[in-house]
Amino acid sequence: MTAEIPTLSLVDVDKRFPGVHALKRVSINIMRGEVVGLIGENGAGKSTLMKILSGVYQPDAGEIRIAGQAATFDDAADANRKGIGMVFQEQSLLTNMTVGENIYLGNEAQFTRFGIVDWGRLYAAAERQLAKVQVDVDPRARADTLSFASRQMVELAKALTLEEHAGDHFVILLDEPTSVLERAEIDILFERVRALKSRASFIFVSHRLDEVLELADRIYVMKDGAVVADLNSSEADTTKLHHLMVGRSLQAEYYREPLQRPYRENVVLETENLSLGHAYKNVTFQLHAGEILGIAGVIGSGREELTRTLAGFAPHDSGLLRIDGQSVRLTTPAKAVDLGLGYVPRERRVEGLVLFLPVAANITLADLATFTRNGLINSREERRIAEGWVERLRIKTPTINTLCLNLSGGNQQKVVLAKWLQAKARILILDHPTRGLDVGAKEEVYDLARAVTSEGLAVILTSDTLEETIGLSHRLLVMRDGEITHRTDAAPGHKPSQIDLIGHMV
Amino acid sequence: MPMNSSLKRLNIDRLRHWLPLATLIILVTVVGVMEPVFLQPSTLLQLASDTAVLFILATGVTFVIMLGGIDLSLQSMASFSSVIVALTIAQLGYVSFGLAVGTGILAGFLSGIAHVKLKIPSFIATLAMGGVLFSAALVASKERSITLGDAERSYQTWVTGSHFGIPNVIIVGLIVLIVAHVLQAHTRFGRYSAAIGAGEPAAYASGVKVDRQKIFAYMLSAGFAALAGVILAGRLSSGSPTLAAEMLLPSIAAVVVGGTAITGGVGSIWRTLVGSLIISVVRIGMTFLSVNIFAQNIVFGSVLVLAVAVTIDRSKIPIVK
Repeated sequence: MTAEIPTLSLVDVDKRFPGVHALKRVSINIMRGEVVGLIGENGAGKSTLMKILSGVYQPDAGEIRIAGQAATFDDAADANRKGIGMVFQEQSLLTNMTVGENIYLGNEAQFTRFGIVDWGRLYAAAERQLAKVQVDVDPRARADTLSFASRQMVELAKALTLEEHAGDHFVILLDEPTSVLERAEIDILFERVRALKSRASFIFVSHRLDEVLELADRIYVMKDGAVVADLNSSEADTTKLHHLMVGRSLQAEYYREPLQRPYRENVVLETENLSLGHAYKNVTFQLHAGEILGIAGVIGSGREELTRTLAGFAPHDSGLLRIDGQSVRLTTPAKAVDLGLGYVPRERRVEGLVLFLPVAANITLADLATFTRNGLINSREERRIAEGWVERLRIKTPTINTLCLNLSGGNQQKVVLAKWLQAKARILILDHPTRGLDVGAKEEVYDLARAVTSEGLAVILTSDTLEETIGLSHRLLVMRDGEITHRTDAAPGHKPSQIDLIGHMV
Repeated sequence: MPMNSSLKRLNIDRLRHWLPLATLIILVTVVGVMEPVFLQPSTLLQLASDTAVLFILATGVTFVIMLGGIDLSLQSMASFSSVIVALTIAQLGYVSFGLAVGTGILAGFLSGIAHVKLKIPSFIATLAMGGVLFSAALVASKERSITLGDAERSYQTWVTGSHFGIPNVIIVGLIVLIVAHVLQAHTRFGRYSAAIGAGEPAAYASGVKVDRQKIFAYMLSAGFAALAGVILAGRLSSGSPTLAAEMLLPSIAAVVVGGTAITGGVGSIWRTLVGSLIISVVRIGMTFLSVNIFAQNIVFGSVLVLAVAVTIDRSKIPIVK
């Protein structure tokens, strides 16, 4: 470190919640024009730290300093005034408003005279903000007409309006900004962030270690509420970071390849020239018992809609879909469930679980009929079943009556899986099953995927990373513009490389 | 951190859980101290009898509120039901009660269909249904109150009579309590309702036939409202298009005061019983305090807003539409 004064620093910041010491005397510095990576497993303290930096929480002890001066943030708006901007993981643009309106939302006063907004001036200013991130978007376009990548750029442009009042010292927190982006879009985002280093400093939080290595100049590793390492990206690699985060190293068998058993002969699901509107067309494949079939493709490739069709949300309009040899059209999820399909959605907290119901009620939700006698639910049987799954899948929960809301992401995902295993689903649709999970929780999901396929369940998998899709799958389909462009085997030891597949994706 | 918020929530939840019952006990004690007559068995039986109709109305709408909807048609339904009884009891006898309740179930079915299939918000669907039912009651009764004669009243002893000193209307209320409690707490319908109220997309994705559960809830709500109208016709020996007027607000207040969340997902019939008793005790307390009877809805309106504010954790809902 030089003697230069950091743009933003935390000094011995401590934060406790009843029963949890969330941050233990954490000190970090962000220098001018620096991109600092922040990594750690779920529960390591990243979110608490980000919330302190953005003014949502106040530290119990320690100090926040801006350019060497002690500062306090009363709330998020105050932090923003003092030069902290945020680009959220879940995009926060209002989709029914224009790009320009979004950029200056809540700050229209500067364009207002006698209560009337001068839209011309606002859009001109918005155009200047957009130019900073070099994104070719019409400020008068509605946000919902933009791609996810463009929206992320607009968020960045919005955060950059800080420049107007915060002067030199401002920091933008990038909280998992890449989680909804495809690779090519991530490249563009990173390029913009690098270009903006002359104007701003960044804190980059991500679960994807390779991305952190790629973008950050320096990386803080957090574990159990403390900073356990501060290292330059040039000194680090994924294995090292992973080791620092979890206290164990990334094994070659991360995706449990040695546990990948050959799939069986019998076809449980097959499609013939399956098509849906403009989403996908002429999709033909077979899924066997005990098989994990991975579908790779960028956003717009049709794989998302294909997944939704199989889950019963978007019935196909031509072609054939057969389950156990019987031709079907899945008009509702209820129909899919009856036929033995189980959908593990990417929106775990919305479609996967009823957050405000207990663990037990969630586990039994798709299978209540089994232990209903004369119209009455046998609660003792229900409790026994729920406790059985909690034990078998090692779901960490105080009791089976705890609301799912209070479980960690990994344990929530296990509840979703328990629900489908209890319902005796024979085909699981895993739609980004490890999204937002930390490394340890991901590994447990991989273990489960292997265990259930060994027992003969079939799995359709779409995933956040190509690496995960390749690592887990028996066979792979690659989709582009709604059609299957490539099929390949992915037997252990003969896994295709990411490069092989990307060529067929874009 | 999740741990922290869950601890906090646990305490607040426990408080919220017991608050309605504590309120009831305090109210009874306060009124009892002010007017010792209140605690005499005969007064308490009178209180229970007076609560029965409100409780039955509130029970019906509890099913709808549990899954996140609302039924604004219930007072018109109850009034219309009293008119049906008054008009047909002379010819049909006991069958007139079935006709009234059957009409209620049909009206609920239609509200449910409008809500679910035409995708109309429940408050609009049931507001419209309420208007239709009110007009139907006006037309059928020729805008007048129909008083029942002695011959007709003989069919109503199951409401007006008593067994072992306990008014029959209380026994009917207890039967409704048991049936509704079993439906809500021990059947798939009850569980699915809670799941839909707490997280409809997840319930749908888990294969719950959401539409069917919703329609059934509206049928129950209107069916119970019609039953309440039948009982009201018995107690007041008449049928009138305004017989149950001013009962909508207290009924919804009873559900919410009992601790059922107006947003759905959390609640029970027991809570509705406690809430109904609170409303009744407040009403009697106001009578003792000589509050103008027409001013009572000012109190119930305020109590409703207060109860909604207390029973929902506003921190989880930054914006309310």
